Amino acid sequence: MPQQFEQPQSQPQEVHEEDALTAAQTNQQQQSDDQSDVLDSILDDIESTLETNAEEYVNSFVQKGGE
Amino acid sequence: MPQLRDSGTRTLHATEPVPSAEMDGFCRIFGVETEYGVAVTGAEKPVDAGQVAMTMFQPIVSRSRSTNTYLTNGSRLYLDVGSHPEYATAEARDPYKALAQDLAGEHVMRNLALKAQRKLRESHGEHATIHVFKNNVDSAGHAFGCHENYLVRRFVPLEAIEHQLLPFLITRQLYTGAGRMTPDGFQITQRADFLDEAVSSATTRSRPMVNTRDEPHADPDSFRRLHVIIGDSNRSQWATWMKLAVTHLVLCVIEDAFRQGVSSGFEDWAFADPAAANRAVSRFLDMPDAELLLASGESVTALALQRRYYAAVASFVANHREMMDAAFAGEASGWNVANAAVSPTAAILGQWNRVLNALEQGNYDALADCVDWVAKRRIFDALHRRRPNVTFAQLEQLELDYHDIANGRLYSSLADRSQIRQLLTSDEIERAVHEAPQDTRAALRGRFVEAALASGAQFSADWTHLAVTAPERREAVLLDPFNAASTPEFDALMSALQ
Repeated sequence: MPQQFEQPQSQPQEVHEEDALTAAQTNQQQQSDDQSDVLDSILDDIESTLETNAEEYVNSFVQKGGE
Repeated sequence: MPQLRDSGTRTLHATEPVPSAEMDGFCRIFGVETEYGVAVTGAEKPVDAGQVAMTMFQPIVSRSRSTNTYLTNGSRLYLDVGSHPEYATAEARDPYKALAQDLAGEHVMRNLALKAQRKLRESHGEHATIHVFKNNVDSAGHAFGCHENYLVRRFVPLEAIEHQLLPFLITRQLYTGAGRMTPDGFQITQRADFLDEAVSSATTRSRPMVNTRDEPHADPDSFRRLHVIIGDSNRSQWATWMKLAVTHLVLCVIEDAFRQGVSSGFEDWAFADPAAANRAVSRFLDMPDAELLLASGESVTALALQRRYYAAVASFVANHREMMDAAFAGEASGWNVANAAVSPTAAILGQWNRVLNALEQGNYDALADCVDWVAKRRIFDALHRRRPNVTFAQLEQLELDYHDIANGRLYSSLADRSQIRQLLTSDEIERAVHEAPQDTRAALRGRFVEAALASGAQFSADWTHLAVTAPERREAVLLDPFNAASTPEFDALMSALQ
C-alpha cells in the first residue's frame, strides 16, 4: 500500500501486519466474484422485509427510559 | 465545555484499599453496557412492548427472583427503567474478550426474545414478531446507549480526560459510528443530535459525552472508572473491538504522561464547542472537509485530528510496545485475525491506519466490511438503484432491521455473504455465554453464580460483592478486578454452597 509511505509516522512493521490482517478479508472478497451480484443477493434477502408496512414497523418502536 | 465531576462514593468500600499490582503497567479493565430497544410487529391485537420485555425476563425472574442478575459468564443482565433490556459485560482485560462478552449478550437477548415470541404467538397470532434493537434511537427520538467502561489510573485528573480524550472520542466516530437515516440526510452516527454539553453524574437527566460516576468497582485510591457515553451501539464486531482498542491506546499515552510528568501531546486539541464538533462529525458525508474550531483558535478537520492522534500514539507505541503487549498477555486469539504472530498493539495501529487511509482517499466502500455506517449506506445506495421510489419509511425500517438482533435480516445476510467481518466463530460466542474471562475477577463471580444456581441457594451479587443470603449470610468482597485468584473469603463462601 504505497500511500502509507506518505505517512512519516507509519512504521514498516505495521504495514506488514496490516497486510496480513487484511489478507483473509481480501480472499473472502475475491470468492464473491462480483460485488454487484452480492449486493443483489442481499437485496433479494431483505425484499420480504420491505413488503411489510414500513411506517407501522417504524412507529411500533417507541422506547421509554434508558441511560 | 462538558465537565466531569467526582460524585464521591468512596465510602462504598469499607475494606482497606489495596494498592493494585497493576498500577505501573498498561493493564486495563474493559466493559461494555448495552441497552436494547424492544418492539412488536404483526400482532393481531395491541401489545405493550414493556409487557413483552417483562415476558422476556420471565425466565430470569423465576431463576433469580429479580429482573437484575449476574450470569455464569460473570456478566450482568437486567431490565432497566422503561423496560430496556440491558447487558453489561464481565470485566475483560482486552478488547477482544470484551467483544466476546458483548456478543454473548446479543446471544442471550436473542434467546430470551425468541422464547417470549413463541409465547406471544399463542395469544397474538402466528405473525407476532419481537424485535430487539441494538441501536440508540427509537422512532420518537428517545435516545439510549451503549456505554464503554475503562478502568483508568486515578492520578490522571478528570480535566485531562475531558480535554485530551474527548476530541478523540468525537472524531473516532468516523469509523465507529453506526450511521442513521434522518429526514435531513444520512448521518454517520446515531447519537450526535441527542448529546449535549450538560454533564452530571446521572446520565438519565442530561446527555453527557463522558462521565465518571466515580463508582470504580475497584480500589478507589488507585483507579477511577471512565464511563464513555458518546459511542454508538455497533453490530460490526470489528467496530466494537476497534473502539475499545484504540481508546485504550490513547488512554495509555495520557496515563503515561501523568506518570512521567511529561506532555502527552494532546493538550491543545480540545474543541472550542464539543457538541457542535460532534454534530459536524456526524454530518461528515455532507462536508468531509469541515474545519472544526479548537479552543486554541486553530481549525482542523475531523480526519486530520484523528491522523494527529494516530501519529502521536504510533510514536508512543514505538517506545513502549513490549510493555503494552504484555498488558494483553492473556490474549488467546483474535488480534491475529489472519496472522498468529501479530503483536496486539501493532494490530490495532495497523487497523487504525487502514481506516484513516481509506477515509482520506474518500474510498469509503473499502470499509464496508467493518464500519457500520459504511455497510448500511452501501446497501441503501444499492436499494436506491434498484427501487428509485423507495420511501424514507422503508429506509428507516431497513436501518432498524440492521440493528434487530432477534429477527433482523440485513445484518445476517451481510454476514452470511462474507460482507461484514466476523472476528469470532459462533462456537467462541457460545462459550462466552457460559464462561467468564478467566484472567479477571469475573472468573470468581462466574464460578460463584454457577455454584449458587446449582445448589439452589439464595444469593446476591454486584461487581465487588458476592453473598449467600440464606440460610446463613456469608459474603466475599472482590475489590481488585485484575485478580482472578480465589481468596480465603471466597473459598469459605464457595464451601457454604457445597
